[in-house]
Amino acid sequence: MDRLSNAVPVGEGLLTTPLSPAENVRINGSRCSECGEVMLGSYKSCANCGGESMQQIPLGKRGKVWTYTVIRHQPPGQYRGPKDPFVPFAEGLVELPEGIRVVSALDCDLEKVHIGMEVELVVYELYQNEQGQPVMAFKFKAV
Amino acid sequence: MREIVIIGAGIHRFGRFDDESYIQIGQEAARKALQDAGVAWKDIQSAYVSTQYLPSTVGPKILKPFGATGIPIMDMESACASGGSTLRQGMLSIASGAIDIALVLGVEKMPRGYMDPLQIYYPWQVDMGLSTNPSYWAMRARRHMHEYGTTEEHIAKIAFKNHKNSVHNPNAMYRKEFSMEQIQTSKLVCDPIRLLEICAPNEGAAAVVICAREAAQKYTSNPPITIAACVHTLAGYSADFRCPVDSLSAKVNNPGPTEVTSKKAYEMAGIGPQDVDCFEVQDTDAFCELEIYEQLGLCPFGEAGRLIDEGVTEIDGKHPVNMSGGLISKGEPVGASHLGQVYELVTQLRGNAGPRQVPNVRTALGQVLGASGNCAVTILKK
Repeated sequence: MDRLSNAVPVGEGLLTTPLSPAENVRINGSRCSECGEVMLGSYKSCANCGGESMQQIPLGKRGKVWTYTVIRHQPPGQYRGPKDPFVPFAEGLVELPEGIRVVSALDCDLEKVHIGMEVELVVYELYQNEQGQPVMAFKFKAV
Repeated sequence: MREIVIIGAGIHRFGRFDDESYIQIGQEAARKALQDAGVAWKDIQSAYVSTQYLPSTVGPKILKPFGATGIPIMDMESACASGGSTLRQGMLSIASGAIDIALVLGVEKMPRGYMDPLQIYYPWQVDMGLSTNPSYWAMRARRHMHEYGTTEEHIAKIAFKNHKNSVHNPNAMYRKEFSMEQIQTSKLVCDPIRLLEICAPNEGAAAVVICAREAAQKYTSNPPITIAACVHTLAGYSADFRCPVDSLSAKVNNPGPTEVTSKKAYEMAGIGPQDVDCFEVQDTDAFCELEIYEQLGLCPFGEAGRLIDEGVTEIDGKHPVNMSGGLISKGEPVGASHLGQVYELVTQLRGNAGPRQVPNVRTALGQVLGASGNCAVTILKK
């Protein structure tokens, strides 16, 4: 049986469905039919113009790093990534073709991360929840 | 609108105080403000209390022991701008004519270490590890460096200046000067931001007694300080890139919250940035102060590095910034933070700041900025 058949997204409305196979999953966006702005996730109204005609769209898979940093210490709260030991990772804003920059972990060599770096979406299992369901998250990997 | 003045100010030092409850900390600042004004608690007609990390009814717990006079005592919160929004509410109640005199208090006692990220982030951002506050400041800094050639040295120079100023501020948490080398080799928190370049959450309180100008003489013999403007705004769409955003527009380029808020405040006060004698601003991290120079109109966009290079924002410079040592030295007890700035500015306007005194201060500005793009700017005039 496909082990991702009962997978859930890390945040409601963040990812397109079905969640399996993972390589077909995209980040969900909401596009305003009035002003054209695109927001991350699922929205019923537009924070830019107040319009109430929002259309769900899958965001593009390829993007470029607009800015970045490196997380060298374990983030606070219930971080679900590797903790023992914690593995430092790059974090950045990835500019996608729809005109949106998304905050994401970057899967790349920490010495080589740079502004303008080309990256591609990876949807992956972040952890298993208490019900035993795979919880799917996203990151961007250097290409 | 009625002109509103500050007639008394008080502070409880910022830092860590294991032996004091937030009630004791808050009471000390409130008592000092009342004493400074020479006003009795029973004369206060309304109280506004700013706090973010404390439980419910903080204001009543702190102030009712002074005498249960039955006046309204309200708790308020607007993230790092809490002190500004609370001061503004106090002013509005006086401006409306409903009351003549109010106490405005900011108080905080925050848990040690990182603040609980679920206070401001979505659970999925925490799960994915996107909840490190300094990482957002770091990403802003990195982009500014890319666009304008700002350097890690510029950022370190801000920390150097603020630590240096703190030595003379008895109300600061850290009062130690650090060398550029110590700053630039301190632990990397999130590239390019280092440990000696960020502020710590902590504890403290600050308070002011405000009243209608025409009523001031009735209450005090202190020379009143005019609140020429106190503006609180939230960032426009996609205008603020700091924790906790999950995305930004790549198409819309709205002005940042400090730019919008300070413009309104200058307009209200009938002045421009060049007319302000000294500033206290939100240096949550050292880079943030650089960016604020630009947003307050102290220099064109991209030129903040030059300002710190030329010493313009030193105590003896043309536009002194963070004479108190800033949040980097004082720490940031969120609810108390802006009123702490106001306390410093009142001290400067009265000429009582000792070795950190800016000569002949007649106009002074405080600015705070935090989660959800909450921003407040207050302008005081002698």
